[in-house]
Amino acid sequence: MKMMWFHLMPYPDLPPDFNTKHRSVWVDIDPKLFDARVMAETYQTYIDQLVYAEDCGFDGICVNEHHNNGYGLMPSPNLIAAVLANRTSQAAITVLGNSVALYNPPIRVAEEFAMLDLMSNGRLIAGFPVGTTMDTTYSYSVNPSQLRPKYYEGIELIMKAWQAEEPFAFNGRFNQLRYVNPVPRPWQKPHPPVWIPGGGSVETWDFCAANDFVYGALTYYGYKMVRETVANYWARVEAHGKDDNPHRLAVTQFIGVADTDAEARKLYKEPAEYFFNRSLHVYPGFTDPPGYVTEASARARYKSQVRQAARAKQAKHDLTWDEMMENGYVVVGSPDTVREQLEEAARELRIGHLCAMLQFGNMSDELTRYNTKLFGDKVAPGLRSMFAEYPDPWWPTNAR
Amino acid sequence: MPADPTSDRRLVYLWGIAGHPELSPALQSLAADGWEVVVPKVPGFDGEAGFVAPDEYLDWLITFWDALDATGALPCPVVGASLGGMIAAELAALRPEAVTKLALLAPFGTADGDDPGLDLYAVPTAERMGHLFAKGVPAAFENRFGHLGAEEAPVARYLSDIASASLLWPFGEHGLAKRRHRLPADRLVLHGELDELIPLPTARRWGDVQVVAGAGHLLEWDAPDEVAAALRAFLAD
Repeated sequence: MKMMWFHLMPYPDLPPDFNTKHRSVWVDIDPKLFDARVMAETYQTYIDQLVYAEDCGFDGICVNEHHNNGYGLMPSPNLIAAVLANRTSQAAITVLGNSVALYNPPIRVAEEFAMLDLMSNGRLIAGFPVGTTMDTTYSYSVNPSQLRPKYYEGIELIMKAWQAEEPFAFNGRFNQLRYVNPVPRPWQKPHPPVWIPGGGSVETWDFCAANDFVYGALTYYGYKMVRETVANYWARVEAHGKDDNPHRLAVTQFIGVADTDAEARKLYKEPAEYFFNRSLHVYPGFTDPPGYVTEASARARYKSQVRQAARAKQAKHDLTWDEMMENGYVVVGSPDTVREQLEEAARELRIGHLCAMLQFGNMSDELTRYNTKLFGDKVAPGLRSMFAEYPDPWWPTNAR
Repeated sequence: MPADPTSDRRLVYLWGIAGHPELSPALQSLAADGWEVVVPKVPGFDGEAGFVAPDEYLDWLITFWDALDATGALPCPVVGASLGGMIAAELAALRPEAVTKLALLAPFGTADGDDPGLDLYAVPTAERMGHLFAKGVPAAFENRFGHLGAEEAPVARYLSDIASASLLWPFGEHGLAKRRHRLPADRLVLHGELDELIPLPTARRWGDVQVVAGAGHLLEWDAPDEVAAALRAFLAD
């Protein structure tokens, strides 16, 4: 199993009364909440943490894209990835990713990802999320019914552009380009590994299975909450006649490691409460624009009573620390406890790529590094051999 | 339903942002007067399965044109409400021979970036309908898909919302102001006093506006008598 270190880059200084004084952490968050000096320091600290993760033996380091957001300060993950490409030498530079439908023309993504692949000497993982409603349809005002067709067309264009040996014309529904000829092309041939971060859309499972892309179940609520999603994904993989190689899947998980279970429970309580009960305060009106999900996904959503009940509880932002641990939102404990839980999760869900989120909420730099080092030294070694019998064709050519 | 070719009291009605569960009380009143009210059937607004929104605004206009032409009702007076007002105005601007009189009830089609009005699609789904009416949500809208059952009803409502949202995202601006000079000068424009979606200054961009007291965005439901009277007078003129 590959171990990745995933950073959301949250703003660490939202006020304690944020939930009562403000409508949403996303889309229309008050810009006056952000202090430029805190932001500048935060970027440096977070970039250093990602570099440190490589030092601690992580196979990959991950960044992602959010807009108008108080818990994700990377509207352009490619800028951070460019720094990481320069400051690291072995870890996979994992950009999860660029929301293709937001780029006009999407050939810009092909260009920037190709640059990152070259700047990292072939270590790029190229992520193409559809993007959340908050990021795409509200912050960028993309018409929700056009988002997915634009997304699929954009990926088609990018994949063709990366592999074409001659300039070509592209006459799509949304993009008409007379001369497609991005310079540079990527280092990796025929193209960098493609991962598709998703949130449970039926179409995304089929898209990944049909195209042999990695499906990334990017959840903030832990492996237990994505059991249904992942089971449905594997069913679609089987339906497409593909093998069950665990490396077809990536899953995110918040993790807190300490010397003992008791110490871990004490150390990670505050940052977890900050993240789940303050940072995830999203106004419900920004979650359901008509047309964002397809008919099949809408039907599945209204029938999933389990997910609806869980979402209702999460939306209240009054989760207790015990609930967060019990429900697996955060895997917390000694190295042995954490390893056992993650091993169980990996076996049950067949997780070939674990995107460990070892910084969350307002976790200090010191605690983040402690968490990262302990995981790298005492948890990762016990997990790394899992699924070693399977090849990983979705791993960058020159990453460790 | 095809129009009666012999009728000289025929009008086309184009519905608003929430779709067309049944003829509004204001239009029913006109029908009772002997007006033949023709409502074209346009894909997407009835919550039917398999609907895919057209890619572009022009494609949407063609979809409406096809549906309108299929009724055989044009040329005749056209009454457009909300989203339908936008389509009616486009029809009058681009096919002036098809519209003998133009009545607009709180039409979309132009917006003010400094004051775009309430973003209905940034309201939690269950609360959206309540912002369209000032006097409570009519039963026709509340129960529109109830016959489909608890699981399918929200799916149908979601699908029907896609059609409207795809036309109005992000705030119903399609540059109609640039085509306004092509509209008939004697058009009727009505606007609900309590319209949350379209601010009155934006409505005034259409020219003289009659403000209907106590009415919300879908004013032909909130104030049927006043709207029917205004339409009746306008059509008789």
